Amino acid sequence: MSTHHTHHEFEPKIIAFVCTWCTYAGADLAGTSRMQYPSNVRVLKFPCTGRIDPVFILKAFQQGADGVLVSGCHPGDCHYIAGNFHARRRFAVFRKLLEFVGVDLNRLQFSWVSAAEGGKWVEVVTDLTEKVRAMGPMTEFKELAMEEQWSGAINTPELKEAYNAI
Amino acid sequence: MSTQPIDTTIYAAVTEAIQTEARRILSEGQVSAIVGYSAARRNGSAQPIVINQADDAAKLIFTPACVNNLAVYLTKAKKEIPKTGKVGIVVKGCDLKALSGLMGESQLKREDLYLIGVPCAGVLASTVQPSIELTSNSIAPKCTECDAHLPAGCDFVPDQTPIAPELERKYATEIARLEALTPSERWAYWKEQFSKCIKCYACRQVCPFCFCEQCLCDRNKPQMVDTTPRPAGNTAWHIVRAMHLAGRCAGCAECERVCPMDIPLNLLNRKMAKELKELYDHEAGFDVLEKGPLNMFTEKDDQSFIK
Repeated sequence: MSTHHTHHEFEPKIIAFVCTWCTYAGADLAGTSRMQYPSNVRVLKFPCTGRIDPVFILKAFQQGADGVLVSGCHPGDCHYIAGNFHARRRFAVFRKLLEFVGVDLNRLQFSWVSAAEGGKWVEVVTDLTEKVRAMGPMTEFKELAMEEQWSGAINTPELKEAYNAI
Repeated sequence: MSTQPIDTTIYAAVTEAIQTEARRILSEGQVSAIVGYSAARRNGSAQPIVINQADDAAKLIFTPACVNNLAVYLTKAKKEIPKTGKVGIVVKGCDLKALSGLMGESQLKREDLYLIGVPCAGVLASTVQPSIELTSNSIAPKCTECDAHLPAGCDFVPDQTPIAPELERKYATEIARLEALTPSERWAYWKEQFSKCIKCYACRQVCPFCFCEQCLCDRNKPQMVDTTPRPAGNTAWHIVRAMHLAGRCAGCAECERVCPMDIPLNLLNRKMAKELKELYDHEAGFDVLEKGPLNMFTEKDDQSFIK
């Protein structure tokens, strides 16, 4: 098998929240089938997509993820019957909220990958990695974490002067 | 848009009707207490009051300064009251939606409550000057989008009919303005707004739906949300807050009213309500729903965003 190592200026960090029954097994199949996919993805295994709290996605972005993937069983295939149906509604709403707050939704991908879809896993991960690579690093949340401002910016000349005098 | 006065002449008759009814149910022993509004110290201001004597019924009022959503007293601060017998509560339409939501979430039982509905044309946005006239400028933004001027399904509602003129829908206008911006412009807007936050949690304290014994945002094992009043933790708190209220928020806008830093919190809630209406045809109303829109699903839910 030929491997091409292309050097990129920017290697995005992709966090993948996956369900153990379908997508994790699908990623495993991709591995045992020796399919190549970007090593940018960090896989976190959950019992079910229904266990994946929107706050995890927020935390991932805050801790430096450039892209987030959430993946689980196809509708109707949930090991717990309805976990992915609930997750579908929750994430449909959550992505609207993130969009309204100003997060670029191209960094957030949802997918259904079954245990037999090793190829689809490769495709989803590659697509997201390349898309995020083209977009560059996610800076918004990192900048927030760097900021020390407490309540309101020091934006008047008097305040700035007083601040500088300290 | 020119300032338009809002007719609140019925409020005097409404006050009288509330007092008469309160006196009756307290003296007949139908309820052990009534949560309502009374005049406060400053001229024209109002404050929540709990009365348990028929003689105190004369203290109850309803004016444009009666802004509080009293439903919060039945879930948190006055948790013990429902156990002592039936409790009466004075509710505006928006407050009744909150009560219906709480009943749907099994926090309250309808048979434990005696609902005194209020025909309401609107209340003030701010009680800094409680005696000012109610106009299209001074009215609370939530009242410009109100569809619940007359509460339904109450045990008692005064006969008066509120006259509510058509006003510019303040939240809808602002949401449309923000939606037209680019993501980075929206981020800049919210960054500015959230940076004001001092993490006083007044929004959580006043919200009838924030009744968790331990808030996710207070937990430190694992710590999901930074607790410091700095931009990162503030943004996370407000996103989590909006998400946890999605499909539950009744739109009483108390969060926004109590915010000492004037962060437009209800804007996030209204945006979520708008999305839930479009996606799942859900709207907060007077009906007690067994399950909220995010606690249920259909097999045909939209999944165009899922690969």
